[in-house]
Amino acid sequence: MPLFPIHRIRALLLLAAAAAACLYAGKEFRKMNAPDTILPGQGVSRIRALKDYFPNLEGTRSDSAVYFLESGRPGPTVLVLGGTHPNEPAGFLAAVALVESLRVKAGRLIVVPQACQSGFTCTDPLEGYPQSYSLRSRSRLRTFRFGSRAANPVEDWPDPIIYRHFPSGQQLSGNETRNLNRAYPGKSDGTTTEKTAFAIMKLIRDEKVNLAFDLHEAAPEIPIINAIVTHEKGRELAAGALLGLELENLPYALELSPPNFHGLSHREWGDGTPAIPFLLETTNPVQGRLRGRTGASLAVDGQDRQYRLAQESGRMRITYDAGGEPLARRVGRHLRAIQAVLETYNELHPEGRVELEGIPSYEEIIRNGVGSLLQ
Amino acid sequence: MKKTVAHAFVCLFIFLLYPGTSPLPAQAADKLPQPVLISSAGQSADVAIAGMLCKKLSLQAKSQPLAKPADLQGIGTLMVVSGFSTKGLGAAGVSKEQEMERVKALLDAAREKKIRVITLHIGGKARRGGQSDDFNRLAAEASERLIVVRTGDEDQFFSSLAAGKKIPIDLVDKISDAMQPLGKIF
Repeated sequence: MPLFPIHRIRALLLLAAAAAACLYAGKEFRKMNAPDTILPGQGVSRIRALKDYFPNLEGTRSDSAVYFLESGRPGPTVLVLGGTHPNEPAGFLAAVALVESLRVKAGRLIVVPQACQSGFTCTDPLEGYPQSYSLRSRSRLRTFRFGSRAANPVEDWPDPIIYRHFPSGQQLSGNETRNLNRAYPGKSDGTTTEKTAFAIMKLIRDEKVNLAFDLHEAAPEIPIINAIVTHEKGRELAAGALLGLELENLPYALELSPPNFHGLSHREWGDGTPAIPFLLETTNPVQGRLRGRTGASLAVDGQDRQYRLAQESGRMRITYDAGGEPLARRVGRHLRAIQAVLETYNELHPEGRVELEGIPSYEEIIRNGVGSLLQ
Repeated sequence: MKKTVAHAFVCLFIFLLYPGTSPLPAQAADKLPQPVLISSAGQSADVAIAGMLCKKLSLQAKSQPLAKPADLQGIGTLMVVSGFSTKGLGAAGVSKEQEMERVKALLDAAREKKIRVITLHIGGKARRGGQSDDFNRLAAEASERLIVVRTGDEDQFFSSLAAGKKIPIDLVDKISDAMQPLGKIF
C-alpha cells in the first residue's frame, strides 16, 4: 500500500482548503472590530463616552463616543442617535455628518453616531450584506462598516427563545434580546444591550435633553418609511415639521408611538424622561425582501432592478424612481427632517431657540453627494 | 300687451328667486360654522396635521381623535380625518371594531344634531386600501364636502364616491394645499 494513497492526499487537500477558508473568514470577521474613523469638525466642543454615564460599559464593545456641539448660548439640548441599527447606514452617516460639519449657534447638540457599537462588529447571517462601503469625502476615500441590525451575538450567547422586555414583561422573539430599539429603558444588571439602553437613558436625563432623535431606515415595501414616529408629546412639533417638509417636496408620514409597544426609543424616552422623542425612517433597499443582488453599491446607490419591477407592478408604497434610493437622498432626508422639527420648535418657543449652521440644503446634498458632508 | 309684459316680468322674478335644483346641497355654498371638532376615523396621526392646518388658518378648532357624541356639544362643524393606522389604534388602545362603532355613533349624532360634517383625507396612498377604505367610505358618505390629497385618489375611489353621492370634492396636490379649500369653506 503506498504511503500517500490518493484518498489521503484528497483528504489532506480538502482539510487544507477548509482551514484556509476558516482563516480567511476569521480574518474578515476580526476586521469588523476595527473602529470606524469619525473626524470631529470645528463645531465639536468635547467628546465623552457612554461609559461616562454608566461605568459598567468601560472596556466593552458597547461603549461609544458621545460628541458635544455647544454654542455657549442658551437654548434647548438636542440629542441625535445614529447607528441604533448598524445595517441602516443613512442614520449613522447623518449623525457622522453632524459631527464633522455642523456648528451650533444657539442651544447645544449631543450626537452618538454609533449607539449600538457592538452591532458594527458583525453582519446579519444569511443576508449577504456587504461588510463595508466607501464614499469619497471632501478630502479622501472613507470606508465605513455595514453592521448588523442587533448587537454582536457573541455578547450574550446564546439568545433566549423568548425575549422578555424589562420592566414591562412584553414578550418578543429571542433575537430581539440584542435589538437596542427594543431594550429601553434598559437595565443596569441586564444583558449587554439592556446596559447600553440604560446608559443612553441616563445620558438623556443627566444632560437634560429636550428633543431627541433616533435615526433609522426600513425596507421599501413596508408602510412605515419616510416617516416620523413620535410620542404624544411630539405630535404638534412633528405635524408642523411634516407640513414644512412637504412644502419642500419631501413627503413624510406621521405615526404615533403605541403606548403598549415597549422598549422602543419613541415610547420609553418619552415616558421615562422629559425629552420629546422622534424616530425618523428613510428607505433602505438593502433591508428589503424584494431586493436582488446585495452589495456595497446597493447600500450607497440604492439602485435595484427588482425594486424597479416592483414599482412598475404597483407594489411599492414609495415612489422608487429611476434614481433609486441613494444614500445622499436618505441622509439628506434625515438632516432636513431634524432641521424641520427644530424650526417648528423655534416657532413655538421663540424664547429658547436652537440654531444650526453648516448643513447644506437637501438639493445641495443630492447634487454633491454624502461625501461632501464628510471631512 | 301690458298684461303679458307684466306676467313675463313676474315669471322672470319668480325664476330668479327660485333656488333651483343644484346638484350640490344648499349648505355647500355657505361658510361652515365654528368651532370645529377634529376627529379621526381610523386613528391615523393625520389628525395632528389637520389640527396644524386649522391653526395656520386661525380656525377655532380642537382635536379629539377619540371624540364621542357628547363631545359635539357646542360644535359647529365636525371635521373627520380618515385613514387607518395600526400604530394609531394601538396608541388609542382600541380595536378596529371599536373604532368603527365610535365613528358610526359620532356621525349619527352629528346628523341628529344637524352638525355639518366634512372629511379630510390627507394621508395619500398609505391611508388607502385594505382597512383604511372602510373608514374612508364611512366618513366620506356622511360628509357634505371632501378634501382629498390627490395621491389618495389615484384609483378615483373618492372622486367616484363623491360623484355618485353628489358630494363636492376638492382634490389637492399636497397636504398644505388643503389650506386653500379649507380657507374658503370656513
